[in-house]
Amino acid sequence: MTYKTMMMAALLSATALGGAQAADPIKIGVVTPLSGTYAGIGQQVKWGLDLATKEVNAAGGIMSRQIELIYEDEEANPSVAVQKADKLFQSNKVDFLTGTVNSASTLAVGQVAERAGKLIATTVSFADPITGDKCSPNVFRVNAKAGQQSAALAAWLAKDKPKAKIFFLGPDYLMGRSTVAAFKEAAEKTGATSLGEVFAPLDSKDYSQYFGQIRAAQPQVLYTSVAGNDTVRLLTQMQEFGLLRNLLVLGASGTVTAQNIAAIGKAANGFATGVGYSAELNTPENKKFVEAFKAAYKTEPDLYGADSYGLIYAYKAAVEKAKTTDTDKVRDALRGLTWSTPQGQKTIRAGDHQAIQTMYVAQVTDGKFKIASEVKGEDAIGPDTCTRF
Amino acid sequence: MRMIDALTRSMRASHLLVALLVAASLVFAAIGAAMGETFYLRLATEALIFAGLALSVDILLGYNGLLSLGQALYFGLGAYLSALVLMWVPSFWAAFAVTAVVSAVVGLIGGFIANRVRGVYFALITFGMAQVAAKVVYNTRALGASDGLIGVPVIDINLGIISFSSASPAGFFLFVLGVIVILYGVTAYLLDTPFGRLLIALRANERRVPFLGYRTMTLRLSAYVIAAMIAALSGALYPMLRGFVSPELLFFSTSGNAVITVIVGGVGTLAGALYGSVLLTLLKSVVGSYTEHHVIVIGLLFMGAVIFLPRGLMGIVRPAVERMLTRRSKP
Repeated sequence: MTYKTMMMAALLSATALGGAQAADPIKIGVVTPLSGTYAGIGQQVKWGLDLATKEVNAAGGIMSRQIELIYEDEEANPSVAVQKADKLFQSNKVDFLTGTVNSASTLAVGQVAERAGKLIATTVSFADPITGDKCSPNVFRVNAKAGQQSAALAAWLAKDKPKAKIFFLGPDYLMGRSTVAAFKEAAEKTGATSLGEVFAPLDSKDYSQYFGQIRAAQPQVLYTSVAGNDTVRLLTQMQEFGLLRNLLVLGASGTVTAQNIAAIGKAANGFATGVGYSAELNTPENKKFVEAFKAAYKTEPDLYGADSYGLIYAYKAAVEKAKTTDTDKVRDALRGLTWSTPQGQKTIRAGDHQAIQTMYVAQVTDGKFKIASEVKGEDAIGPDTCTRF
Repeated sequence: MRMIDALTRSMRASHLLVALLVAASLVFAAIGAAMGETFYLRLATEALIFAGLALSVDILLGYNGLLSLGQALYFGLGAYLSALVLMWVPSFWAAFAVTAVVSAVVGLIGGFIANRVRGVYFALITFGMAQVAAKVVYNTRALGASDGLIGVPVIDINLGIISFSSASPAGFFLFVLGVIVILYGVTAYLLDTPFGRLLIALRANERRVPFLGYRTMTLRLSAYVIAAMIAALSGALYPMLRGFVSPELLFFSTSGNAVITVIVGGVGTLAGALYGSVLLTLLKSVVGSYTEHHVIVIGLLFMGAVIFLPRGLMGIVRPAVERMLTRRSKP
């Protein structure tokens, strides 16, 4: 910086209201998968962030500073994510970072942020440890974690079918087993009984081998955490065998999605899951958001788009409260922050940096998700298990 | 004076090229440290670490004629071992010693399995072994499963005379440069001995070698174990740089990248592995920041290299260096 520009900068900061570098944009780094398996999720993240940024900038920015988003493709590979995050922090000097999708990337990038003395937030990763036993003072999560989803579903089940008898069927890998374990714990707490559990290999072609076991147990409810094409095969085969009669099927948020619901067809009817967002939400804020989103990108937002959209407003509120982008002050401002999003009010719990929000139970009727019930944020959040701060 | 044959001459040319790379790295480190640059120093450190992996692929591909599609198995092994040891005792030497011993044992076992076959089958078996290992790690809770292990501490590396932190960008860069140069030196030395000549003989005609009185299995196994150890020791540096390990380090993308690095850099040149890694890592980072279609760019580049530079970058540069060296050694 030359002497002249330094003088200019000094003059500017002296005259600006509150802000030190009023003219400079606030830089937010986004490390998200733009190519590969998770590119679809990364696309929603990008759309959500872009839309909110456009709105905030049009309304004058944050403390009259514009927001600038800098994207880097992480290929859903933590080694790449770490390298890109390092670049954004060290070379681009971003003030804040978000966008990571798989939990391994979020955890690894969180550690980079901690070493660089910056803050990050995830809007997608739902693995409980991120704000649980692997929590970090520099990591926030504004989307609902797996525990909130299963707690909401269990709370709804307890009201809809008290003392239900549940059978569990999960895919045989870590995420599948841990989602089943989480829902089992949540459901047993609200009075349900477990009849048994079975784990099928990923990509199973034939689920009928498990049907004898399920029929013999005579469950009222089946909980499953299979996903993608596995759900298509499981539910259609169950229907062919007449197992879906008088059986309520519950699942994880990825079990039945917009991608496979058409292929499942009628067998999907009645399926229910706990979610943090649905484009069907009937609130004025959400309607406005969905309309703006559709106008800009010709498609409906999903939970990733909505959570990412909300994050920009959380950061705006925090920076305006802190009156600076300084890490420690923004962290203090984010702790306990309540702000409004298309999903309603969210509050960041100070103890573990997890957002508390109203949870919804979405149920399939005639091939479409409808909101069946909502569960208050406090009832779904669960205890704070973070011990680091 | 000792007769200088083609192999020794080409090795000397490689040494000169590596010396050039080291000199350039020293200048780069000095500038980087002076400017307080962090990102590019760490990126260059990562490039050198992956150069070690490429070096191990080149031993097998360039000297033994064996394409390994699963060298990430040993790279990941080294990374996970080093991470686990460092989280338990934060000592560089402990991590390196454990990695060396365990990778030798695992390399011996893997070598027995993979070296029963040749050619395409060798490539498939190495690929399969790495995939199995990656899946096991991906599903083992004690190893962090799909989340990997975070929280590998920043360590102080004590070299007797000086001690520095693995978090210091310039210091750790120079240290990794030293380690990779030593790995290169050991490899180049071994390949220049009669052992190396026998490996080349194996590549040329494996059926004839037993008639000269050598056991081919022992030779192939030794080369495989050396390559495994070099990959693992390079991998051991990774968690010191980035503070975490994840199962993706064992995935095919890691093995595949190492093969691409060697082919672009120049098969059988050793120096090509180092140059190729620096080039590809930098290119990926720069192109990746401009477009999300960076994989297409890298793919086209790879195809271009194979078509127009079938012997790789060093395949073009090294013969020129060799000619220069011969001219000078003549009276």
